[in-house]
Amino acid sequence: MSAPQTRARTARAVPRRAGDQHRLLRITDRIAIPVGGRSLVVGSVIALLSLFLSLATLAWGDLGVGPGDLLDAARGAADTKVTFVLERLRGPRVLVAIGVGLALGLSGALFQSVTRNPLGSPDVIGLGAGAGAGATMTTLLWNGAIPTPLGAVAGAGVAIAVVHWSTGLGFASPARVIVTGIGVAAMATALTQYVVAVALRDSAEGLAAYLVGSLGTRTMQQAAIIWISLSVLVPAVGVLTHRLRLMDLGDELAEALGGRATHTRTWAIVLAVLLSAAAVAVAGPIAFVALTAPHIARRVTRAPGPNLAVAALTGALIMVAADFLAQHLPVLEGMPVGIITAGVGGVYLGYLLVQEWRKASV
Amino acid sequence: MSEPESEPVTGSVNGSVSQPSLRAERVTVGYGTHVVLSDLSLTLPRGRFTAVIGPNGCGKSTLVRTFARTLLPRSGEVLLDGVPLGRWKPKRIAQRVALLPQSPVVPDGVTVRSLVARGRHPYHSALRQWVPGDQEAIDVSMAATGVTDLAHESLTELSGGQRQRAWIAMVLAQDTDYVLLDEPTSFLDLAHQIDVLHLCQDIRDRGRTVVAVLHDLNQAARYADHVVVMREGQVAASGMPSDVITADLVRDVFSLECEIGPDPQAGTPMVVPLARS
Ligand SMILES: Nc1ncnc2c1ncn2[C@@H]1O[C@H](COP(=O)(O)OP(=O)(O)OP(=O)(O)O)[C@@H](O)[C@H]1O
Ligand SMILES: [Mg+2]
Repeated sequence: MSAPQTRARTARAVPRRAGDQHRLLRITDRIAIPVGGRSLVVGSVIALLSLFLSLATLAWGDLGVGPGDLLDAARGAADTKVTFVLERLRGPRVLVAIGVGLALGLSGALFQSVTRNPLGSPDVIGLGAGAGAGATMTTLLWNGAIPTPLGAVAGAGVAIAVVHWSTGLGFASPARVIVTGIGVAAMATALTQYVVAVALRDSAEGLAAYLVGSLGTRTMQQAAIIWISLSVLVPAVGVLTHRLRLMDLGDELAEALGGRATHTRTWAIVLAVLLSAAAVAVAGPIAFVALTAPHIARRVTRAPGPNLAVAALTGALIMVAADFLAQHLPVLEGMPVGIITAGVGGVYLGYLLVQEWRKASV
Repeated sequence: MSEPESEPVTGSVNGSVSQPSLRAERVTVGYGTHVVLSDLSLTLPRGRFTAVIGPNGCGKSTLVRTFARTLLPRSGEVLLDGVPLGRWKPKRIAQRVALLPQSPVVPDGVTVRSLVARGRHPYHSALRQWVPGDQEAIDVSMAATGVTDLAHESLTELSGGQRQRAWIAMVLAQDTDYVLLDEPTSFLDLAHQIDVLHLCQDIRDRGRTVVAVLHDLNQAARYADHVVVMREGQVAASGMPSDVITADLVRDVFSLECEIGPDPQAGTPMVVPLARS
């Protein structure tokens, strides 16, 4: 019974992948959830940074609302200027930024985990482009009959449905999903440009900001939309997490371990699409956050697997940081957030591709 | 979230302890329009080490997939303890039947220990991702396969033989009555192949039923105590190696002319292909 032991002695005993070590978070005997020690620390740091940047965004400049004002407002004792800034100007904007960031980060992490593709993200498979086409058509063709956000969500839904239908295998083949998604995205973009080209120029102006994703003039209503969506969708994602952890073993083994791969993938994609759609509805198609947040999360936690919580927090940090820059950096003043995330994210995407190629050519 | 959630019980029925059993009854299985197994019936003998042999593409992988319900039959049933697999919850099946696929996806950045720990998934739920037996099952499986020292190594950085033992440790941690291994010895050097075959015998000696798809008839005859020979989606023969592996069968199934002699060590049938005339 000891035959295999002899050849195993060459191992180093020192753990190098610290991120793969899990501790158990136990609450009574019925709840036990493994938490990566490093993920916990990293997640807390990212959350604190986001909070700090949010407070800084609120406090900066002439209209600044400092921490003291916030406490007053919490007690209902703030003056009208502070109340106005919090309820109408910067408050909703910060809430939307955090909510959209969480939704996009989580959405991207879900996508990458079930498609087993580091480039699998709602942007890449055409969700953003579909949302753009939907928004354009509702705004320019059926002027005002349907609210733009609703048009965006419908467009995203149609794009995903087309992808699902044209792969021939639903979402079961990750490679096909991505290739088809790129095609659908191209068609949606072409449609957007066509509609913009034939429609009146003046109504296209406001749309331009929407199409790149913007946080300007957000309302408490929009903040409510994204946060209510999160409060429904995040628990649903929570139910899937332990099965998502099996997805990197391939469908057959995940299935053999009782992980119901197809079912898990379908639900993960449905939830990811809904999260992205909620984000699109309140802020327009913001590029690259869903794609980059999970990568950054994986790098900083050094843990394999979906890293959902840290990816979501990273998404929030990216959004809050981009918004801070958009509002307070003079050069970028008034620039839609989507342009900043696209600029930074595009550079990061290039870097990722180069890394992948390097890895492949080893 | 759709299958009927009956929970078949192993153990006592009317006071008598019923033996676990796994059998396929007239299953027809395929992919798309392509039928691979047609009307196949087979019982996996309990407590034995069964080798499944047969030419490439004859449906060996399809057969073990069907037994583990990673592939659903179009007609017929696989019965676990007499109850159709369709009436079991996926996790309950995974507590009884483990399958190591022919070429599993190697996950990035995962250590051996955390891979082995995934074998415990069938016992977990969304909120309870730990049960009291986990630690012991993981440690025992790693010790049995000799990967304890590799616990913190990344799977991608292991040699083929080490990796194969890590995979087997994972399915052992599943703590199932039935362990199905699809070509566990392919891509290993001879010494590592023998390691894995000894390991299969050890697993059987601990009271589990082992089914391994093998390509080497001599190894199947020598290390397994039961062989199932497949040809074109059918069971061509099954039984004790010394009864089943004959020159006629090898000619029939593999289209190979051979002479059968006794293995000098174990006396089991040894296939020696004839020289070209
Ligand atoms: N996932 C699949 N999709 C479609 N056809 C498949 C699939 N897997 C196997 N087949 C087909 O089913 C038939 C039987 O395949 P199977 O993998 O069961 O054979 P096998 O006996 O395991 O062969 P090998 O010894 O090469 O592993 C083959 O014709 C193969 O092409
Ligand atoms: Mg096979």
